[in-house]
Amino acid sequence: MTFQEIWSPWLIGPFLWFAGIAGMGSVAYALMKLFRVEEKLRELALVIFASTVLGLLFVVADLSRPLNMPSAILSSLAQGIFLAKLAQSWMTIGISLLFLLLLFTLLLVLRHTVASGLAKLTDAKWFLALLAVVGFLVTIYSGFLISSAPGVPFWNTALIPVLWVISASICAIAVLKVLVRSEAVTHLLTRAGLSLDVGELVALLALVATPLYSGPQAARESAEALVAGALAPAFWLGVVVVGALVPLALGFLLLKKEDRRLGMAAAACALLGALILRVLVIQAGVFEALHL
Amino acid sequence: MRLAHLWDQSRCIGCGACIAACNAANYRSTDEPNPTWGGLQTNIKRLVFDRELKPYMLLVQCQHCENAPCVAVCPTGASYIDKDGLVKINPSLCIGCKYCMTACPYGMRWLHPATGLPAKCMGEECQDRLRHGLQPVCVTVCPAGARAFGDLDDPGSEISKRLRGARVVRLLEYKGTKPKFFVVVGR
Repeated sequence: MTFQEIWSPWLIGPFLWFAGIAGMGSVAYALMKLFRVEEKLRELALVIFASTVLGLLFVVADLSRPLNMPSAILSSLAQGIFLAKLAQSWMTIGISLLFLLLLFTLLLVLRHTVASGLAKLTDAKWFLALLAVVGFLVTIYSGFLISSAPGVPFWNTALIPVLWVISASICAIAVLKVLVRSEAVTHLLTRAGLSLDVGELVALLALVATPLYSGPQAARESAEALVAGALAPAFWLGVVVVGALVPLALGFLLLKKEDRRLGMAAAACALLGALILRVLVIQAGVFEALHL
Repeated sequence: MRLAHLWDQSRCIGCGACIAACNAANYRSTDEPNPTWGGLQTNIKRLVFDRELKPYMLLVQCQHCENAPCVAVCPTGASYIDKDGLVKINPSLCIGCKYCMTACPYGMRWLHPATGLPAKCMGEECQDRLRHGLQPVCVTVCPAGARAFGDLDDPGSEISKRLRGARVVRLLEYKGTKPKFFVVVGR
């Protein structure tokens, strides 16, 4: 068995992680603004903009022809191919969504730093709704992109987009837990985080258990590598224990009484677990074996 | 027009001439390694199955699928199906995202170290040979006549004639890719 080496886990994994933080972070920004929770919005805007930029840097670093990218996309646009491809390729959809998110988050950063006049635009309900929709789509598209690669059977599951949304929501909550100090808000975040941690554990179980018992050979090999093979230590320790069980346990403690240090620890664990999850899902890919 | 490849497993003697010829014609006989598959830079991959009593070998290459996943996922249209039915790459539109490589269920693309292109059959030289009315180089050099190439829509073409009455396997057909690489396993 050989793991796929076409997409680098250490470049695409962090890209997916940053895209998740930026995507669901944008949803969180829009919700906070709409529900008039004004605390630390400037910092949140900086985090989601920086995440978008870093995500783009990581994904471009994995391209084998990065210098050809601008002219290729412009040429594809000029020929009308790019627009037609929007109905066919998740990558085309992703490029468009990431461009929109970069633009929207840049406007947010400018509004909170040097161009407060932009508030009229960025505080408008339609803009916030659009920001939330684009953020959500950025989070989920990358899941569809991976699950739509027929060469790697382990990825061909409807669970990945769902898991991405759950995990990115946990990341957004973790970022807010680090930023926000209002006890009412952090308590709400703790409760939401707990539900999502349970959901993530169920999704993780389904992600590895289904191919183990009924998947194609290559998908089974991927799942075996995660559960009991070369990737098992990182999966059990990094994703299950650090990424899900520790935040879950700390969440139950925080339900009784909010504690900033514990909250920060839970947030750090959740963020680390989400990063390791994405790296491992990419790394665990195995190509279908050809035979007569 | 639907150009397609045929490889007759029952005639192949495993000499590797097609692999060497592909390397010579399309990659200037370079001895630099293929960074994706290992071995030579060539568009043909040799798979050996060492099954105790019944070992066998498989030569595979781009299947020129009619429902090609690599074409569907390509974000810019760099991978496309030409009028002749062959899956081709337009280098000027390729950004090197490698989505086509993860989408190909056959793993038949490899990353060219110099150009960054996801290389595959047919190479530039073979496409040029077709434009001049010649056969792909792997078909020409095969000493055992194990290979054929031609138009499936033409009943008089070499490939159509050899497909008639042959026991044929198409790889991973259940994936719905409609591959046009035919493996003849007997009569």
